[in-house]
Amino acid sequence: MIQTMGLTKEFNGFRAVDNLNLRVERGDIYGFLGPNGAGKSTTIMMLLGLIPPTSGKIYLLGEELNPRNVAIKRKIGVVSENQYFYKEMTAQEYLAFFGELYQVPNVEKRIDNLLEAVGLKNDRNKKVGAYSKGMQQKLAFARALLHDPELLILDEPVANLDPTSIKQIRDLIEEENRLGRTIFVSSHLLSEVERLCKKVAIINRGRLLAEDTMENIKRRLTDTVVLEIEVDRDITGLEQEFESLPFVKHALLQGHHLEVELKTDRDYRIELSRFLYEKGFLVLSMKTKEMSLEEAFITITQQNVSLLTRGEENHEKA
Amino acid sequence: MGRSRVLRTLFKRDFLYTLYSFGYYGALFASFLVSSFILKNFLDATREEDILVSAFPLNYPLYLTLIIISLYLVIVSAISISREREQGTLEVLFYGPVTSSSFLWSKYLKDLSLGILALGFTALYFYIVSALTNLGFTGGLVRALIMGVFLISCVVSFGLFISSLTGRIRNSIITLIAVLGAFLAIQFVYNMLLGIEKESLSPSMLYLRQATAYVFHAINWVSPFAYLSRGLDSVVLENWTLYLTHALYCVIYSLVFVFLSIYAMGKKGVKA
Repeated sequence: MIQTMGLTKEFNGFRAVDNLNLRVERGDIYGFLGPNGAGKSTTIMMLLGLIPPTSGKIYLLGEELNPRNVAIKRKIGVVSENQYFYKEMTAQEYLAFFGELYQVPNVEKRIDNLLEAVGLKNDRNKKVGAYSKGMQQKLAFARALLHDPELLILDEPVANLDPTSIKQIRDLIEEENRLGRTIFVSSHLLSEVERLCKKVAIINRGRLLAEDTMENIKRRLTDTVVLEIEVDRDITGLEQEFESLPFVKHALLQGHHLEVELKTDRDYRIELSRFLYEKGFLVLSMKTKEMSLEEAFITITQQNVSLLTRGEENHEKA
Repeated sequence: MGRSRVLRTLFKRDFLYTLYSFGYYGALFASFLVSSFILKNFLDATREEDILVSAFPLNYPLYLTLIIISLYLVIVSAISISREREQGTLEVLFYGPVTSSSFLWSKYLKDLSLGILALGFTALYFYIVSALTNLGFTGGLVRALIMGVFLISCVVSFGLFISSLTGRIRNSIITLIAVLGAFLAIQFVYNMLLGIEKESLSPSMLYLRQATAYVFHAINWVSPFAYLSRGLDSVVLENWTLYLTHALYCVIYSLVFVFLSIYAMGKKGVKA
C-alpha cells in the first residue's frame, strides 16, 4: 500500500530523512513513531507529494508517486496535525465543498453519516471558526473519510481531543480498518498507537530504527523475563533465598506480591512454581510482565538502538 | 472532466467568498465616487466657460475608475495564494485532487470574472451618468470598457505571480508595493533625465539616462499598468490595428504570467 525505497530529504545540507525504507501492507494499521524532529512530518509531506524527496522512491497503492497524479490522491484521506479550515463556512458547507472537489456520489447522505459518526450532527450549521479544537479535529476526520479513501494518513489524529472524543475517533479508526481501509498513523500518544496498531516503525534523526509488529519489537528489546506472582500469604524476607536460585537474576518481594526477573535461556516457570510450593506458598496468579510500547520507544530512541536485522540494515545502506 | 470540475468548484467558492465581502463593493464605490467628483468639476467648468470641446468627455473618469478597480484587483490577486498558504488551507486542498495548475487557473478566472463584473457595473454607472448629463456614451467608451477586460487580465496575472512567490499576506503586499514603487521610481527618474538637455549632462549622467531608458522600456513590457495606459491610448487614437495588437499583447502577457505563477507555485510549495 505504501512503500518507500531509500527515501531521503535534505534541507540546506541537513538530512531530515535518511534513506528510509517503509512497507505498509494493505489492511494494516501502521504506527509511525519518533521523537520531535525525527523526520515524521517531513516523511508524511513527501508521501503526500507536497515536498519532493532529495532522492529515493515512493510507491502508493502500487504506483510510483507523482504529485500530478490526482487519481492516486483521490484514494487517500488525510488528517494533519494542525487543522486548517475555511472558517467562514459551516461544517455542512465545508464538507459539501470537498464532496464536490472529490466528486463524491450521493454526497448529502455521506455527509449525514459522517457527521453522525464523529458526533457533529447537531453542530453542522455552525461556522467552523466557532468550533473548538476537538470539534475541528473531528471535522477533519469527516473530511478525510468523505471520499471513501483506500488509505488514511493520520498525523496526530487525537492530539486535541478529550478522552470521550479519543475513544470515539479510536472506534472510528478501528471500524474503518475493519471495512478494509489501510491506516497510517503518526502519533506521540504511544498508548493510543499501542491500542490501535498492528505494526509500527520507529524513526530517530531521520533514520529507521525499527519496523515490525509490536510484539516482535518488545521481544527483541527484552533480554530478561519478569514474572509477576501473587501468593496466598506474606512472602517478605525471602529475597536472599530467591536470589540464590540459579535462574533468578533479581527478586522483589512485597506482601503477597513478587516480581521475579528470570534468565531467558529457557522457561523457568515450573521450577519457580515448585520452589514456591516447597516453601509452602500457594500460587494464586502468575503472569509475564510485558514491556510497554512507551518503554520500548524510549529504549530505542534514547539509545538509538537499531532493531533492523543485518539484511534490513544492508538494504537501508544500499 | 475531473480537472475542470475541480477548477469550477474552486472558482465557485472563491468567487462567492469575494462577492460577499465588503472590499469589492468598497473599491467600486470608491472608483465611482472619484469619477463623480471629476465629472462634477468637469461639468462645473463647462457651465462657467459655457463651452465643451472633447471627443471623449467620459474617458478620463473611466480611466480613473479602471485604475482604482485595477489597484483593488492587483491587491486581491497578490494575496490570494499567500493567504491560503498562510492559513494552511492550500495544504489541505493539495491533499486531494487540486494541482498548482488547477488552483492557479481557478484564481485567475475568479479575479478576471470579478473584474468583468466590475466593468459591467462601470458600464451601467457611465450609462446613467451619460443619460443624466448628456455626455455621450460613445463607441470609444464601449471600446475602452472592452479593452478593460484585457487590461484587468494583465493586472490579475501579475498579482498572482507576486502571490505565488510569497508565503504570507504581509510579504505579498510589501513585495507588490516595492515592485510597483520601483516601476514608478524608474519612470520618474527617466522622465526627469529626459527633461534635461543632452548638452548639459555629464558623460556619466548620459550613460545613466541611456541605462534608465533601457530599464524603462523593459518595464513597459512587465508592468501591467503600462498596458493599461497604452491600451486606453489606442482607444483614444481610434486605431483598430493598435487596439487589436494591444489586446493580443495583453493575452500573451497574461498567459506568460499565469504559467510563470504555476511554475513558481510548484517550486515554492504549499507551506508559508
